[in-house]
Amino acid sequence: MKKNKTMIIAFTAPAVLMFIIVFLYPICRTLAMSFFKIEGVTDDVSKWSFVGISNFIRLFQTKLFLTSMWNMFRIWLVGGILVMCLALLFAVIITSGIRFKSFFRAVIYMPNIVSAVALATMWLQYVYSPKFGLLKSVFATLHLDGLAKIQYLDTTNKFWALLFAYCFGMVGYHMLIFASGIERIGAEYYEAATLDGANKVRQFYYITLPLLKGVIKTNITMWSVSSVAFFVWSQLFSTVTADTATITPMVYMYLQIFGAGNSVTERNAGLGAAIGVLLSICVVIIFWVCNLALKDDDIEF
Amino acid sequence: MTKEKVIKEKWNWKKEMRLLPGYIIVMIWVLFTFLLLGWVAAASFSTTKEIFLGNALKFESGIHFENYVKAWTTSDVSTFFSNSLVYASISCVLLIAICAPAAYVLSRFDFIANKIIQSSFVSAMGVPAVMIVLPLFGLVANWNILNHTFSNRIILIFLYVGINIPYTTIFLLTFFSNLSRTFEEAAAIDGCSPMKTFWKIMLPMAQPGIITVTIFNFINVWNEYFMSLIFANSDKVRSVAVGLYSMINSMKYTGDYAGMFAAVVIVFLPTFILYLFLSEKIIAGVTGGAIKG
Repeated sequence: MKKNKTMIIAFTAPAVLMFIIVFLYPICRTLAMSFFKIEGVTDDVSKWSFVGISNFIRLFQTKLFLTSMWNMFRIWLVGGILVMCLALLFAVIITSGIRFKSFFRAVIYMPNIVSAVALATMWLQYVYSPKFGLLKSVFATLHLDGLAKIQYLDTTNKFWALLFAYCFGMVGYHMLIFASGIERIGAEYYEAATLDGANKVRQFYYITLPLLKGVIKTNITMWSVSSVAFFVWSQLFSTVTADTATITPMVYMYLQIFGAGNSVTERNAGLGAAIGVLLSICVVIIFWVCNLALKDDDIEF
Repeated sequence: MTKEKVIKEKWNWKKEMRLLPGYIIVMIWVLFTFLLLGWVAAASFSTTKEIFLGNALKFESGIHFENYVKAWTTSDVSTFFSNSLVYASISCVLLIAICAPAAYVLSRFDFIANKIIQSSFVSAMGVPAVMIVLPLFGLVANWNILNHTFSNRIILIFLYVGINIPYTTIFLLTFFSNLSRTFEEAAAIDGCSPMKTFWKIMLPMAQPGIITVTIFNFINVWNEYFMSLIFANSDKVRSVAVGLYSMINSMKYTGDYAGMFAAVVIVFLPTFILYLFLSEKIIAGVTGGAIKG
């Protein structure tokens, strides 16, 4: 037993130590920082001045920050619905016994392994290009001149262009999770349902969906985590430093702390920390609501 | 398995027809993906002038490898590329060296902190990067690390390793839990110490899991953007993702679109090639890891 003790300590110590340095300590310190006014990120604790929750109040009074939260919410909700529906649709198709299943699955998942910067550039510079873009040339060949003339990247359309491109990349990941959930549902359920005369659509609503509760929860949680961390796409789609059309809280925080943009209202690292705390609260709330709404422990399969 | 074989042997036209809508939907999506990647790849061999005329796919003036040469040499892609290669390889090795022993112990021994460590690692996977970046930056900037190329590289690798530790540990933990305990029991009877058992027997047995998680870590580090953006202080230490971003910005002004697409291809090629050979393994890893987490 004594031997095991040294082994336990020796084997877990490096990982735990790294975890403390990279996660635990920064999380606690960020939490503390959010209640202080701090001139520079590198400032010593002695230079911090306690301001209570005024950092949070100040954030909610800043129009640009509210815009960024609104953008994030729209990405989460609209993008989430779009991605989940497409992912579920593809998962059902993939698991329905079609040929070349693994080929289709591999291609649909592929955008996920490509660097987001590269993928976003492809969309920005090719698909949405007003001069030689994919959408423009497709609509032009179909003689839909009205659609061909749309400037996908002007201020009004940019957000939706960004959202659609982002969703394209995310569908594959969520599809894989749905598909693996569907595959774990026993074939006997469907056989029994077919014998009882239930058609495919009814089988989907009464067997597949209820049994996928746990998987849906996983998917929503993953989607929320990635929506909160929304950064690269937004930065690539905004041509000016603080583009209100595509700004998200992460970008706002980056500009606030590290950027030299003119959008910065004041030098205060506490505001940046408060953004981090707010985003974490969002994740926790979503996770909590999901757990309440989708209790999956009552169905075993 | 047998069921799948039966399907493969005979064409049941009635069944295929019923699946037709499914085929069509998936085919459209797949076609679009191919068109997107294919066009970008073609454009990278074309010239800017042809791209603007909409003739990127015709190659009227031949195939232009010089786009790649230009992107590789004059725009520093070679630096970013080798940086990322070094960061990703070292991080992957370190991650296994740190996480495999921890995962093994967590999967095999009951001790007070076990559950706490496991649940904190799982929750860490949902922590947004904004929540950790400020204090880390404060620390690193105070130590004057970012002004030296070498220490800057070390700190980047340290961060890549750190942020991937929870995921790697949990993934390997699942893998170790599924390995039978009979091997250790046999080894213990033969007088092999627990530590030696781990290095000689369990670690080699976990190889499939280690390979899968290493592929993921490699892709993650290769594509990592936010941390690199904040902590890489000069072009000399930047990784591909950040390097590509600054390069795209400058290419927009020089108007060298062919060169830009060449750079895009260079950046996504390594992960793409990895995927071509290992897609089944990667897909199995995604579903295995996600369901558990």
